Amino acid sequence: MKLDIYELIGENCITLEDGQKIYDRIHPKLLAGHIVELDFARVGVYASPFFNAAIGQLLKDIKAEDLNRLLKVLNLVPADRTALKLVIENSKQYYSDENFRKAQDEVLLEQAENQ
Amino acid sequence: MKITLSIPTINDYTTADFDALFNLWNQANNDNMDVTFELSQCEFLRHNAVAFLGGLARLIEERHGKVTFDWPTLKNNWLRTNLAQNGFMAAFGHSSGPWSGNSIPYREDKFLDKNNMMDYLKIMWLGRGWVHVSEQLRNAIVGRVWEIYDNAFMHAQSSIGIFSCGQHYPRHHELKLTVVDFGVGIPSNVRLFFRDDPRAKSLSAANCLKWAFQRGTTTKPNGTSRGMGLDLLKEFVKINKGKLEIFSHEGYALIDETQEIFMNRQTFFEGTLVNISFRCDESYYHLASEAPDEPLF
Repeated sequence: MKLDIYELIGENCITLEDGQKIYDRIHPKLLAGHIVELDFARVGVYASPFFNAAIGQLLKDIKAEDLNRLLKVLNLVPADRTALKLVIENSKQYYSDENFRKAQDEVLLEQAENQ
Repeated sequence: MKITLSIPTINDYTTADFDALFNLWNQANNDNMDVTFELSQCEFLRHNAVAFLGGLARLIEERHGKVTFDWPTLKNNWLRTNLAQNGFMAAFGHSSGPWSGNSIPYREDKFLDKNNMMDYLKIMWLGRGWVHVSEQLRNAIVGRVWEIYDNAFMHAQSSIGIFSCGQHYPRHHELKLTVVDFGVGIPSNVRLFFRDDPRAKSLSAANCLKWAFQRGTTTKPNGTSRGMGLDLLKEFVKINKGKLEIFSHEGYALIDETQEIFMNRQTFFEGTLVNISFRCDESYYHLASEAPDEPLF
C-alpha cells in the first residue's frame, strides 16, 4: 500500500488528529505484515504531534525491526527526517521502558523534597 | 468596580518589561471590573506587550468587565502608527488600520485552525521578504514554532484562547513572536499530573518548567507517546542562535545558544507567555540532517 500524505492531509502535517488518520490506515496493514509506503512529497511543515500519532505509536505493538522492513518513508527532507528519527527514539523509550519515565519523574519529585 | 490603569513603555529587553505586564494583569485580575487603559506615559509597546494586553482585555471582558483603551491619550505618533498597522487598535474599537508594514499582525485564536495559523506564520511572520531563508528552512522554523501553539491549545485550558503578535526589527536583524495564554500555567499542569504524590505540592515552578522541557516528558495520560515539542523547539533555538523565554506562574526559562536557565522569580502570572527570537539570515542556520539510508526505527 502506498499513501500520498499530501492528498490525505495537505501541506501541513502538524496535528495529533491528522497523524491519527494516517495511523488508523497503516496500522492494520503493518500488523498483517504488508509493506506500506508513506510518500511525503509536497508536504511542507511537520510537527511532533503528527509524527507521534502517525508513526511513533506504531511501536506500541510492532517491533522496530519489523517496521524497518515494512514501512518505507519517501520524500522527507533531511531535517524533517531527523525530527522524525527523534520522535521515533522517544517513542521507543516510551513504549518499551517505563522505568526511564519513572526515573525522570522521580528526579523532579526529589527536587521538591529538597527545596 | 472601575479602575484606570496607565500603560508604561514596554519593551522585551529584560524581565522587568514582562513584570510591567504581569503587574497590569494583577491589578485587573478580578470579576466585574471595568478597566480603562490610558497611554499618556507610553512611548512604545513591543510585540510582547501587544499580545499580552490584547489577551488581558479579553480576559477582563470574559469576567463581565468592560475594557476601554483611551486612544486619545496616546500621544506618541510612532506607537499610534504601529498599533494601527498591526491591527491592535482595530481590534479594540478604533477605525485605523491594519495595513502591511514591519509589524506582524496582532492575532487572537480561540480555536485551533491549523491552516489559518500556518498561513499567519508562513506568510505574515516569515514570508514578507525580510527573512532570507529557503523554503525548507522556513518550513522547519514554522514547524518548530507550531509546537508553542500546540502546547498552548493542548494544555493551557485558556477559555479565551491564544494571543500572538510579532515584529521584525530590521536594525537588529531579528524576527520575534510572542504567544500568550491566560490558562492554568505549566506548573499547575505538572503538579496536577503528579497529584498522587504528596511531594507534588512542593514542586517549584522553575523545576516544573525544566521537567516540561525534557525529552519525552508529558502531562498527558498514557496513550500516545508525546513530549517532544518543547525539546525540538529548544534544540532548534540553540542550534540557530535564537532565544526563547517562557514565563509561567513564578517560573522563568531562558534558553539560547550558550545557556539554559530555569529559575523562580518574584512576579506571578497564572498563564504562560512564550517570547521567541530568530535571526533573519540563513547563514546563521544549521539544519541537522540524518543520513537517508539509515534505518528509521
